[in-house]
Amino acid sequence: MTALTDQIALADSQRPALRRGPSKGADSLFRGAAYASAIIVLLVLTGIIGSIIYGGWPAFREFGFGFLTSSVWNVGTEQYGALVAVIGTLSSALLALVIGVPISLGIAIYLTQLCPGWARKPVGMAIELLAAVPSIIYGMWGLFIFAPLFARFVQVPVSNLVEGLPVVGTLLYARAPSGVGILTAGFILAIMIVPFVASIARDMLDQIPTILRESAYGIGCTTWEVMRHVLIPQASVSIIGAIMLGLGRALGETMAVTFVIGNANRLSASIFDPGSTIASRIANEFNEADGLQLNALMALGCILFVITFIVLIVARLLTRRVKVA
Amino acid sequence: MSTAATAATQALTQPATRANADSSAPIRIAVKDLNFYYGQFHGLKNVNLNFHDRQVTALIGPSGCGKSTLLRTFNRIYSLYPEQRAEGQILLDGANILDPRVDLNDLRARVGMVFQKPTPFPMSIYDNVAFGIRLYEKLPKAELDARVESSLRKAALWDEVKDKLKQSGMGLSGGQQQRLCIARTVAQRPEVILFDEPTSALDPISTGRIEELIEQLRNEFTIAIVTHNMQQAARISQFTAFMYLGELVEFGPTNRIFMNPEKRQTQDYITGRFG
Repeated sequence: MTALTDQIALADSQRPALRRGPSKGADSLFRGAAYASAIIVLLVLTGIIGSIIYGGWPAFREFGFGFLTSSVWNVGTEQYGALVAVIGTLSSALLALVIGVPISLGIAIYLTQLCPGWARKPVGMAIELLAAVPSIIYGMWGLFIFAPLFARFVQVPVSNLVEGLPVVGTLLYARAPSGVGILTAGFILAIMIVPFVASIARDMLDQIPTILRESAYGIGCTTWEVMRHVLIPQASVSIIGAIMLGLGRALGETMAVTFVIGNANRLSASIFDPGSTIASRIANEFNEADGLQLNALMALGCILFVITFIVLIVARLLTRRVKVA
Repeated sequence: MSTAATAATQALTQPATRANADSSAPIRIAVKDLNFYYGQFHGLKNVNLNFHDRQVTALIGPSGCGKSTLLRTFNRIYSLYPEQRAEGQILLDGANILDPRVDLNDLRARVGMVFQKPTPFPMSIYDNVAFGIRLYEKLPKAELDARVESSLRKAALWDEVKDKLKQSGMGLSGGQQQRLCIARTVAQRPEVILFDEPTSALDPISTGRIEELIEQLRNEFTIAIVTHNMQQAARISQFTAFMYLGELVEFGPTNRIFMNPEKRQTQDYITGRFG
């Protein structure tokens, strides 16, 4: 064994150099540049987190844990609490998921399983175009076109219908049917996340081997059974990933939501009522804020950071659990 | 003579457990003037062929000869793809399954299929087998359990999985997964089982087990198997059909096809001169 490796080493040393040696200078320069790029990302991230925590710290110190549980946001008396914005953020994002995810899955299933070949391209293109619309356009459309129609054809009739009923009488009652509110924001957010969730889910369903689909049809499944029991579960991990991506987008979306959520600092049990989200509150007030108000906005930013971070962790945990099962 | 052909002939001359062809067995599937098209491409040309009850019929031939295409007409799985169409007749127990009025889900329960690669569904081992049964029959729990067990036994898998029926089918080895797919097919009590190169993704030991299994399943089911492996065809089949360029070149009892082929092309293929 040793003799053989020695011989090979000998042969190697006698072999003439076939190409010039790598230029040491360029190589280390390249290596350094790649390292630097990676480190810049870390520096920027810690810089942002650090400065937001630093900026928000006075507010956390002033109000303590009460900052999270208080629903007061009063610039005059300098009393600030995050509860309304946090609840608005979570509820509008969840409504967006409830509305958007079934539609997204429907689109993905249609495109991969049911759609005739000629229609695949145009429908797929339309969905990708939807993703390319700037969020300010959604906001304007939502405020000037969608909200009035929503008030007239949904809020008013539904409010009349459910008035006085338990639970739905509160949940779906608009005190002032203006069309803007948490549910409107949920609708607009749903439209915005559908292209993302749908196109990822479509790619995932496309990646499932044909043979698995054929074998599901091969035991006599209908298209519904193939989807429900075989293809969707097979792609579930990636579909959950896609949903989480949509949730992340819905939580942080600012411009469109600021237009349609109504920007009220009031806790209401009705999803027809105006509210605000963390992002919309910051967008509305950063311009004139200073002193403790600015600190409070920074603190809100910290909370949004933490919420998105938790979503990411939950997504990781969920996908891990699905893999084992 | 190539080693493959030598081995194939040896497989025939060895004292095999394989039963001889029974040409008097009733005809289960009769293929009449079958033509198949992939869009413009003419994939099968006037194929006429009979599959006998409780016999294994092997379809052999070089890649692209149409053997898989033929197999895929028997459960009409090709109709998932709108550009593919079949013309002619395929009589299953006398009824033409190419008739557009045929209920495809019903047909696929009567004609089961096992694919080139194992395709366990993303569910537990138990559910993989029970799933197909539940599509058609509402059985009480005890009966369902019994059917799952007997299906897994028929697929020679029961002893390996009886303690982990609740675990995912994806966790099994490749050979076990393929036997799970066989159990799933058997559980529906089909009349015919189609095997499309069932061992092409498996190691020799797993291949051997699947071949033994097919030999046993022959007692209950009519079997059609597509294979690239001529020794395999020689080892397990009673009848062999040799196809080339979309045409059926020669069909007959496996012994005769391998020992004494009538057509020149068949002889060239089984002696390894092309393919």
